[in-house]
Amino acid sequence: MSIEMKRRELFKFAAGSAVAVSAMRAQSPHLFFTPDEFAIVDELTEILIPADEKSGGAKAAKVAVYLDRELAEAFDDDQRQKTRAGIALVDKLSMKMNEVGFLAATPKQRVEVVSTMAGDEEKPKTPEEMFFHEIKSAAVRAYYTSKIGIEDQDYKGNTMQMKDYAGELPSGPALGNAGSK
Amino acid sequence: MRSEPEVEQPTADLSKTYDAVIVGSGAAGGMAAYVLTKHGLNVLLLEAGRKQPIEKELKSMEWPYQHPRRGEMPPDDHALTHNEYTVRPRPYAKGMPYNHVYSYVQGWGGSDYSKNIVVDEKDNPTTGTPYAWVRARLLGGKTAIWGRLALRLSDYDFKAASRDGFGENWPIEYKDIEPYYDRVDLTLGIAGMKENLPYLPDSKFQRSYRLNKGEMMFREAMAKQGRVATPYRAGVTTDGIKGNKYRSKCLGRGACNRRVGGCDIHAAFDSPTGLIYPAFDTGNLSIRTNATVYEVTVDKNTGLASGVSFIDSVTKQTYQVKAKTVLLGASTLETARLLMLSKSTTYPNGIGNSSGHVGHNFCEHVMGPGVTGLIKDLVGKPHTLDDGRPGGFYLARFRNLTEKNPNFIRGYGFEGESGQGMFPGHAFSTSGFGKDFKKSVRDHAGAFISMGGFGEVLARYENYVEIDPEQKDRWGIPVLRFNYKFGDNERKMAKDMTESAKQMFEDAGIQIVGVDDEVLTEGWSIHEMGTSRMGSDPKKSVVNQHQQSHDVKNLFVVDGSTHVSAANQNPTWTIMALCWRSCDYLADQLGKGNLA
Repeated sequence: MSIEMKRRELFKFAAGSAVAVSAMRAQSPHLFFTPDEFAIVDELTEILIPADEKSGGAKAAKVAVYLDRELAEAFDDDQRQKTRAGIALVDKLSMKMNEVGFLAATPKQRVEVVSTMAGDEEKPKTPEEMFFHEIKSAAVRAYYTSKIGIEDQDYKGNTMQMKDYAGELPSGPALGNAGSK
Repeated sequence: MRSEPEVEQPTADLSKTYDAVIVGSGAAGGMAAYVLTKHGLNVLLLEAGRKQPIEKELKSMEWPYQHPRRGEMPPDDHALTHNEYTVRPRPYAKGMPYNHVYSYVQGWGGSDYSKNIVVDEKDNPTTGTPYAWVRARLLGGKTAIWGRLALRLSDYDFKAASRDGFGENWPIEYKDIEPYYDRVDLTLGIAGMKENLPYLPDSKFQRSYRLNKGEMMFREAMAKQGRVATPYRAGVTTDGIKGNKYRSKCLGRGACNRRVGGCDIHAAFDSPTGLIYPAFDTGNLSIRTNATVYEVTVDKNTGLASGVSFIDSVTKQTYQVKAKTVLLGASTLETARLLMLSKSTTYPNGIGNSSGHVGHNFCEHVMGPGVTGLIKDLVGKPHTLDDGRPGGFYLARFRNLTEKNPNFIRGYGFEGESGQGMFPGHAFSTSGFGKDFKKSVRDHAGAFISMGGFGEVLARYENYVEIDPEQKDRWGIPVLRFNYKFGDNERKMAKDMTESAKQMFEDAGIQIVGVDDEVLTEGWSIHEMGTSRMGSDPKKSVVNQHQQSHDVKNLFVVDGSTHVSAANQNPTWTIMALCWRSCDYLADQLGKGNLA
């Protein structure tokens, strides 16, 4: 654990250095995220959309894998850097609240970090609140377009309706003398 | 369904003189080809775009997770946003770093399936006032992705000027066009329910789509106020089309609403399978794609149109073709552009433009205002199959029918829907996270209802397009410069749309959760009309009631540019009914030798 911690600390301070970033990517099995970034996004999105009695959560739906690919392909580098900075903020907030990074924190501590980040969802102001909005939107997009997410909704469409279409047919005109009064 | 016929370049013989050459292959051009070939005329159809393997493009049943980007177009492609339409200098795509820049419709879900259908703004620039111009260059034009709402106009529209004193009446009345609406219905198929409304005439309907629970509730609430929310009147065949082997009846898959549009089984009308392939099967039709027409040519001795000049959009080589009659169905704005580009010593102002009205009286529909509500009774209820329809409901016009609104003239209708779709859009605005969040998203799926207005934009002379003196498109053809703005009547109408939408939802016991009061950029409705309007006075109109040029008797304009007013109904069905009527006239006149 302590070796892990040191590695994370190193990355944190190296963030922004192009050499360090490319070095990290070379070691990473992911397309954009470093292993730790990926782990944080994987845990964080699972807290946002968890597995429950009905269906799997963000982890099972491979939300982090999808976001990793999306960011790797993104046209605008700004989007990548904003996400990277946001992930760093999560770790920093965890250090501040729990004296350990997000991945080393207990499940309860992680949820507290996310609650703090959520802040005032209606009017996000702080960088943490802004990132919460970003990552939640991204998780919603990725989860609810996944097979697990669509099945969680009991969505019944995208199917051939061979006889009658869905819904009811209104019986006759709604108005006796429509428009004439 | 049989595979489509080979309808490519080899069929076009540019050395002969055709009975008719048609420019554009959308709703208008396709209908012209269909009717004229049935009359036995020898017809050449020219389309600026290519022929798309549309079934391969649309992949209507593909799930989002089967696509590497969940249906989104490549990341180096860009769709213009509402904000960019307002703030960016024109041409919009100039200086943008993206590989392709598209109109706003490519910002919708499923944009990867339509990226080869809509045009690249980089190739097709415009200048002047902000305008969100959506263009599709392919065989079939915008019918490849159209919105499918198929409505009739009535004498409330054709005689609107008599009713409120603004503008001009149409040179026809409902009884003139009614038989042609009937023919379009029976030839192409339309789903809907009879309502007996004098201001929104019924069609020859096939089996109607249905309303889901939320929509039924809204319909019943509206009926108490004398307003009608009817099942979406869709230009989609629900019972099939006898004698058309290229189309299937609708199977309720619902892809039309999850994508920019399009139907890979062709239950929704599109011009190729509904009109062009059947026309081709008569043996009387030749087609050339990648043929961008830039001029209607003139016989100096007679003053008649002699044919057209076009540029091959791939090789950039130019060609001429001769025809006894020329029909323009290039779309409202492209047709106006082509008329104005066709300058000669005989027609220094552009062909057919002695009135100076070409490009003017430009109109469309104003949109943006709308409302979203929650139907509390539906929260937490077991989910039902709600979608698989080309649309939800249409709330017919109610303003300025019997009463006179003090703030604005003319009217508007609403398109709306309720029920569960594939993607729970409400998840973005559901607060919190974790299991409660997830349950809330699930419980609320299908419990929302929303609608947005489409209002008549007045046809005013001062709203116009003209040829830009400098800017050219990718093929070196001068482009359009817009001088077009919504006016006071549109703004007041839009304000009333928002207010009335809120009121109706409140009256129906629907909890309002979102209100849109912003008017979207001009052009957003994709219902541009009126740049070559019909009329009986050659000084104030471009074509007569048969869409025949007042100046050049063998030149016809058969698309939405001839509409005298925008009304508030979606125009596609009216474009086709008018075109059919005009082509019957053309064939008759040509046969009598009256067009030479």
